[in-house]
Amino acid sequence: MSRSNVVDDQTDRGLRFDPLFNTHYDAIYRYCARRLGGSDAEDAAADVFAVAWRRLDQMPPGDSTRAWLYGVAYRVVANQYRSRRRRTGLTTRLQALAGVGGDDADRDPTTGSEVDLVLMALDGMSPTDRELIRLSAWDGLTRVEIAHVLGINENAVDQRLHRARARLKTRFDLLVAQSPRTEPREASA
Amino acid sequence: MIELLERADPAMGLEIDQARLRARVDERLGLSTRLWPEVSAGRRPWIIAVASFVAVLTVAIPLLLLHVRPSVNAPDLDGITDLPGFDEAIPLASGGLQLMVADGDTVWVMTTLQNLLQRVSAGSGDIEATYPIDARIEGVVVGDGHLWLMTTDDGGGVLRFSPASGVVDLTIPIGGAPGWAQWFGDNLWVSNDHGELVQIAAGGEIVSRRPGDLKGGEGLGHLWVNDPETGLISSLAEDSTLGEIVIPTLDGLETANGWGVRQVTESAGKLWLLDGDYPFGTNLSIFDPDTGELSSFGGLTFGLLDLIEYNGYLWVTSHTDHLLIRVDPATGDIRRYPVPGKAGGLVVAGGDLWLTLYHPGALVRLDTGADLIEAGEIVADDWNRFPHRMLCTGTADAGGPTVILQSADWIEYGSMSVVQAKLSNEGYTVCANGYVDGEASPEQRAVDLEEALVEAGINGPYVLVAAGDGVHAIRLFADGRDDIAGVVLVDPMPIGFQAFYDDLLPGFGTPPWLDLDAEVSTSLTDFGDSPLMVIGQDPDAVFLSQPFIQDAEREKAEAANMYWQDGLAFYAGLSTDSRSIVANDTGFDGIIWFQADLVVGEVLDVLGMTDTE
Repeated sequence: MSRSNVVDDQTDRGLRFDPLFNTHYDAIYRYCARRLGGSDAEDAAADVFAVAWRRLDQMPPGDSTRAWLYGVAYRVVANQYRSRRRRTGLTTRLQALAGVGGDDADRDPTTGSEVDLVLMALDGMSPTDRELIRLSAWDGLTRVEIAHVLGINENAVDQRLHRARARLKTRFDLLVAQSPRTEPREASA
Repeated sequence: MIELLERADPAMGLEIDQARLRARVDERLGLSTRLWPEVSAGRRPWIIAVASFVAVLTVAIPLLLLHVRPSVNAPDLDGITDLPGFDEAIPLASGGLQLMVADGDTVWVMTTLQNLLQRVSAGSGDIEATYPIDARIEGVVVGDGHLWLMTTDDGGGVLRFSPASGVVDLTIPIGGAPGWAQWFGDNLWVSNDHGELVQIAAGGEIVSRRPGDLKGGEGLGHLWVNDPETGLISSLAEDSTLGEIVIPTLDGLETANGWGVRQVTESAGKLWLLDGDYPFGTNLSIFDPDTGELSSFGGLTFGLLDLIEYNGYLWVTSHTDHLLIRVDPATGDIRRYPVPGKAGGLVVAGGDLWLTLYHPGALVRLDTGADLIEAGEIVADDWNRFPHRMLCTGTADAGGPTVILQSADWIEYGSMSVVQAKLSNEGYTVCANGYVDGEASPEQRAVDLEEALVEAGINGPYVLVAAGDGVHAIRLFADGRDDIAGVVLVDPMPIGFQAFYDDLLPGFGTPPWLDLDAEVSTSLTDFGDSPLMVIGQDPDAVFLSQPFIQDAEREKAEAANMYWQDGLAFYAGLSTDSRSIVANDTGFDGIIWFQADLVVGEVLDVLGMTDTE
């Protein structure tokens, strides 16, 4: 590898990276913010694009790019949880790993709005179920993209998503029933 | 429910500062966004390029420093020749790609750090002559009875070396640092870093210059050049005609200058192209001159370096994975053989295949007809953010505990490839875990290991083997687990060693060793009464070796040794059933390469204890 080749490559890399960043920064930042909150989200999103820069040549083209970036974001967010876990003590390692996204565990079901209750219901789900629902409802990913991010096949996405939505509804209905401040309502999955 | 979920979206209404986020990205890439407002958009890529090149150098310099470290060891290359098929191992031949060339029954090797050109007899394996070269050499080519040495000194040029007189008798400036070079027809062809392809006659006259980037190797009677006008790889004939054959593009294969195709060779009437986008290029591609089509043969592994045709097979080296890979071009069969070090270049001389091991620094003659130990299958491959790899062997019905080999941070997951192969031959499931390059923290490594094992369905009990700073990840992985059957630590890195060493010996280049926070270390559970073997370095081969004492002064050398020995004692105290031994004559990573049998023996001892319990 001669020096000029390195320079040529980096020049090309810069030209390819700018449109990628401009197209996807918003979605990737939101993905991170949903799972990590404000300041950590910025770090995580920046990490995602730093990875993208380094792996530009391996990035699949066209529509697959978005799923690839979400796949990186999924790992980066997982890393952030690991860092948090270290900060909060290794003795809680497994609990923290299992509780990905469980920032709102202290929410009181007797005082919450419907939005709070659905978030509580979501928090109480397994990490995989929770991530399936978030990717679908919040990030707007297709089943193919979700399959890529989670490393499962598309049929498994369909099945798991169906079951996850059913479980979410069950949990939500239970919370609604427990909540004196929220009128029971017909929730549709 | 969907509508409720949408209302519950925490990112709803979130305002994002694009410029701020971009600045954070650029910070991570080592680029300064503060320059942008003062620089036109058209010049931005150039600044990116320069900054990135500086970053590349920043990475390259520590890598060179790594290579110096074995000088404080006393490597015993007998460990290499104990392996089946490794007939000869000659020290100091650190030549990598383009730094080793065959000339009949002679192998010429340029040992770059010492600037020594060595002539090795392919018949006897003797180093017949050693010539100091007063220049930094980055490529060696043989042609017209001379050696042609590519140098980056003095603006870049070619030195003509006469084997008869043993001296450089001609210097040819080529107007830039040389890239790939080949002798072809009656001329030397060499690329320079200004994107020129320079044609030099045997007498040293420059015959022509043209835009182009030469690829390594030749095939189908041609050299192969990236033609910048088309961006495609094109044939170069002996009469210097360019473009009689043009290779089309292929999805996933970069054909442009530099990154992308590194090496070509001919086999079975086709041109084989190696994706040398180091370390991430993984593929071989095939160009069929009859149809004019380029197709993908498929992935081999990471870190591919060299490609050669020998005895009807294609042979490929993987630098990062410590592998020699054999491809049968007729059947597509792929065999992966672990090699005791970082595989470099390949040549055929005296009818044999020769391989350089860049680190630890040896030239090896291979008997490819021997029963070479085979590597296993990769079960975890690139977890997106870090090139994390886990390669497991013997996963079917092996029984007994699974052996986990955790590499040191800076020597990749394949570094215990020989240990792995030997343990697999004993009938155990063995998983080598690590990274193609190092960015991950010990905590990340521990969790990635755990996830990879779960994904692969490989359950405990585990016998954990960690080398160097891999000990930190292994301890984190083992924390609180009850399925650890035993542990073998190979010269484990003491807690806080990096900081201690940097303070003690400022300016001594070291790899960015991983460390574990002292408080975290204290919080971890120990190994209870699980069998624990601690293989420590031989002080006389490392910190108390004469070269190290000379460089560091005796007092500091002794302090470094004391710290290390205290660390070994600490680790030995992590189990009530521990044993400590010293790896005579070596230390650091040398143990897993030069004393693989010692490591294997200790692991088998631990496995034996678990079998009988």
